[in-house]
Amino acid sequence: MGVSIVPTLKVLKPAARFVVVATVGIVAGYFANAAFFPGTRPEQPIAFSHRIHAGDNEIPCLYCHVQARRSISAGVPSVNKCMGCHLEVAANRPQVRLLANYWENREPISWVKVHDLPDFVHFTHKRHVAAGIECQTCHGPVETMEVVSREAPMKMGLCLDCHRKNEVQHGIDCWTCHK
Amino acid sequence: MANVDRREFLRLVGAGGVGAGAGFMLAESIKHPVEYLIPYPVPPEEFSPGIATWYNSVCGMCPAGCGISVRTREGRAKKIEGNPLHPVNQGRLCALGQAGLQVLYNPDRLTGPMIQNGERGDDAFVKATWEDGLSRTAERLAAARRDGIYVLSQGVRGHLANLFELFMGELGSDRLLHYDFAHPHPLYAANKRFFGEHQLPYYDIRNTRYLLSFGADYLTNWLSPVHHSLGFGHSRQGNDSSSNDGVRGRFVQIEPRMSISGAAADEWIPARPGTEGFLALGIAHHIVADGRYAGDDASLWRTALAGWSSGRVAGLTGVSEGTISRLAREFARAEPGLAIGGGAAGNHTNGVDTLVAVNALNYLVGNIGKAGGVVFNPDPVTGGSAIDRQANYRTMQNLIENARDGNIDVLIVNNTNPAFTLPRASGFREALAAIPTIVSLSSFMDETTLMADVLLPSHTYLEAWGDDMPQPGVGFPVGAISQPVVAPLYNSRSTGDIILGLVGKLGFNEAIPWTSMEDFLKDGWREIYERGSREPGDFDSFWRDVLVSGVWGENARRGGSVVIAPGVIEGMAVSAPRFSGESGEYPFILHAYLSTAMYDGRGANLPWMQELPDPMTSIVYGTWVEMNPATANEMGLADGDLVRVTSEKGSIEAPVVLFPAIMPDVVAMPIGQGHDALGRYARNRGANPIEILAPETESASGNLATSATRVALVATGRRAAPVKTGGESRQLGRGIVQSTGSRSAPAGHSAKLNSIPIIVESAVVESA
Repeated sequence: MGVSIVPTLKVLKPAARFVVVATVGIVAGYFANAAFFPGTRPEQPIAFSHRIHAGDNEIPCLYCHVQARRSISAGVPSVNKCMGCHLEVAANRPQVRLLANYWENREPISWVKVHDLPDFVHFTHKRHVAAGIECQTCHGPVETMEVVSREAPMKMGLCLDCHRKNEVQHGIDCWTCHK
Repeated sequence: MANVDRREFLRLVGAGGVGAGAGFMLAESIKHPVEYLIPYPVPPEEFSPGIATWYNSVCGMCPAGCGISVRTREGRAKKIEGNPLHPVNQGRLCALGQAGLQVLYNPDRLTGPMIQNGERGDDAFVKATWEDGLSRTAERLAAARRDGIYVLSQGVRGHLANLFELFMGELGSDRLLHYDFAHPHPLYAANKRFFGEHQLPYYDIRNTRYLLSFGADYLTNWLSPVHHSLGFGHSRQGNDSSSNDGVRGRFVQIEPRMSISGAAADEWIPARPGTEGFLALGIAHHIVADGRYAGDDASLWRTALAGWSSGRVAGLTGVSEGTISRLAREFARAEPGLAIGGGAAGNHTNGVDTLVAVNALNYLVGNIGKAGGVVFNPDPVTGGSAIDRQANYRTMQNLIENARDGNIDVLIVNNTNPAFTLPRASGFREALAAIPTIVSLSSFMDETTLMADVLLPSHTYLEAWGDDMPQPGVGFPVGAISQPVVAPLYNSRSTGDIILGLVGKLGFNEAIPWTSMEDFLKDGWREIYERGSREPGDFDSFWRDVLVSGVWGENARRGGSVVIAPGVIEGMAVSAPRFSGESGEYPFILHAYLSTAMYDGRGANLPWMQELPDPMTSIVYGTWVEMNPATANEMGLADGDLVRVTSEKGSIEAPVVLFPAIMPDVVAMPIGQGHDALGRYARNRGANPIEILAPETESASGNLATSATRVALVATGRRAAPVKTGGESRQLGRGIVQSTGSRSAPAGHSAKLNSIPIIVESAVVESA
C-alpha cells in the first residue's frame, strides 16, 4: 500500500510532505472519532427499551410524552408516571427495580438527551404534533429501538426539506426558527 | 523507498500521529455537549415543561411597593414585569425592579448560616447549621439585658412588621428600629406639623395641571417613581380625565442641579441651595397679596407672610422677582396646581420648614382633598405603625452612643446597611466593635454584615412569603401578598421564618404560636378578609384570588373637611440653612443625590445596574463630580480630571464631569458606589459621597441633612475619564436636537444645555 504514495512523496519537498501527512492524519482522526464515538446512542441510567413499550405493547408516544401536544418540549415522564404502571407491571425485572429505587428515594432520573437542537433554534413540538407530523419523521422508528439512537441528522437541511415539501407557510423564513 | 530514510520515516509517522490526534480532538470539541433531561420525581400541579407560569408578587427593591409579575419556566424565574392590576405601578416597572433577577441569581449571595471564626471584618466565616446559628443567637438573646437588645431592620411593612413587634414584645425590648437611608423623615414631619397627619398624603400628579416641585426628583426616586412617571405622562399629554380635561400639564422643577425630573420639566429653576422654602413663602406671599386666596383665615395668612415680599425673597434665593410673581400667578390660576417638595430641598437643616411652606402653597390654592391635589391616605390596613419605627439620624446616633457605652448586648440587623449609608463621622463602624454579639439576616455580605458574628441569611423577596401595604398609598387601602415564585436557591430562610425560629428556641410559642411565616401571613389576611363583605367561610377562595391577581384593595377614600394644625399659620417661617464648613475654605455645596440605578447603594452588586448609563451624563460603572463648566474653567479643570473632594469630615476622589445644568457654587455626586463589601460587582468601584458628609441634622425631624456639607475640590494632577456610553454631549453644529426660542421663557433661567459653558445668571449675581 505504501508503495503507491512514495512517488508522490518523492516529488514533494520534505516540509510539504510533512504537511500532507499531518493533514491526512487530521482527517482520519476526525472521522475515526465520528465513527467510533458518535454520541448518537448514549448510555442511559436505566436501560429503558422503547421496543418493549412503544413496539410490543403499543403504548402511544403521547401517553408518556404528554407535553408534546401543548408545549415546546415533549417532556420526559416523571418518575411517578413510570411507577403508575410499574408498581404492578414487571415489578421484579432488574431494570424496573432500579426505577423503584429512584422512586423510593424521590430522586430524579438524569436521562441523557439524544435529540438536541442548538439554543439558537426555536422549535416547538406543539405545532408539529398539531400539524399531524408523525414522531418518527424526525425521531426515526423509535418503537423498534432497544436503545434510542439519533437516526436523523437534526441539521437545518432536515427542517427545510420537510418545510419545502409540505409548503409550510413562512416555512423557510429565517425568523420562523431563528428568533 | 530510497528517498525516505529512517529519520524521515519516523518524522512522517510522528506528523501523521499528531495530526490524527488533533483531528480526533477537533471532532470531540465541536460535538454537542452532553445534555440531560431530568424530570421531576413528582411534578408540581399544573406544571408543564416549556410553558411559562406567571406569578404575581411584590417588588422588594425599594420602598415604593410596586406589584410585579414574574415569568417562570421549569421552576426558574426568567423575567420580572409590572403587575397591570396593581394601582401603584399599573403594569410598569423601573430598571431596578427588573434587575431583581440578579438579586436572586447573584453569585455573591450568602448560601447558608455562618459563624465568625476570626476577627470581625476579616471575612473569616465558617459554615454552620441553622440549628447551631439559631440556638447560638437565642442563647445570646436569653442572656442579654432586656433593653440591651436592638433589632435594626430595613423598612418593613405589613405582617412582617407585625411579627417584629410581637417578637420584641416577648423579648421585652422596645429597641426596634427600621433604618432606610432615603426615608423621607422631613416630609412626614412637615405633614404632621401642617395637617396633623400621621401618614403621607397621595400627591395626585396625574390630574394636576401645574406641578411645582421643590427638589423632589419624583421621576427617579421620590416616594413612588413609577407611579409618578405614569402620572407625569398622563398630565403632560393632557389626557382627558376628571380634572385636567385635555389641558396639557405644566411642570416646574426647582433645584440646584438638574435631575431627570428637571430635564423632563417645562422649566428648571435653580434657587440657591437651602432657600427653596423662602421661594415657596415668596410665592405664597404673592398669592395672598394678589387676593387670590379668599379663605376665612386670609388675614392670618397676610400677616404671617408679610415679611416675604418678592424683593426680599429674590435677594435670598437668587430667583428674580419677575419669576416669583409669574410662578405665583401661574400656580394659582392652574386649578388644580400641585406643589411637592423633597429630595435635596428637604435634606437641608431647615428641610421641614421648607416642606411646610410647600404645603402652605397647596392649602392656599385649595387643592387639598381634591383630584390633582393633595389627597389624604387612610391608614394602611395593617402594620401602619411601623412608620414610627423609622430611625432618623438622631436615633441612630443614640444607638451608636449606647453601643459605645456598652449598653447593647445583642444587635440583630435585617437587610439594612448603615455601615455604608451613615457618614464616617457618625462613628457607626467603630461603635459596632463595642457590641458583643451582632447577628445579620442579610442575603449578602455587605459592609454591616461583615462585622457580624452570626449570619442567618434571609431569602430574597422572590423566594419568601410576605405582604406589603404601600406607603404612601394611592388614596385608598391597597395590599399585596408577596409569594415565593421559585423554590429557595440556597440554604437560606425568609426573615419571618428566622424570627419564628428564634421564637421557638426562646420558648415564646404561647404568645407567638405560628411555626411558619406562611401561616402567620394567612392568619393575618383572614382578618383583612373579614373586613370585607364576602360570604364568611370562603377565605380560601379569597386568598387564592388575592394571590392570583397580586393585589387587594378597598373602595374607601377619606372625605371630610380640611383642617390644618392650630398655630401653623402664625408660626409660618423658614429658618436660614446651616452648612458645615466655611465658604472660604470649602467653596462648594455638595449635592449628593440618589443614583438612578443603585438607589442608596443596594443596586451596586447588580451588573445590569452597573451597566445602566446614568440618564443625565450617560456614565456607567463609576462615581463622578458634576461641575458647572464655567467654574471648572476658572479652576483649570477639564472633563475627566481626578479631583479630591474634601469636607470637614473626610475626603474622596472622583473625576470631574462638566455638567451645564448645575449652579456654579454647587458640585453634585451620585450615591451608590464606593462599596468595600457587597460582592465582586460592587467592591472597589467609585467612591461613596455619604462617607464625607458632615453629621448636620435637619432641626425638626432629626434626619441627616445630606445637603448641608460644604466641600473643597483639589486637582490631583491625575486623570480618570469616566466610562461614557454617550460620547460627545454637544451637538457641534450637527443640529441633532432642533430647538426654537420660547417667548414665555424668562431671560435669567434659560439653561442652554447645548452650548458649554453655561452660566446661570441670576444665581451668580447675588451669591452672598
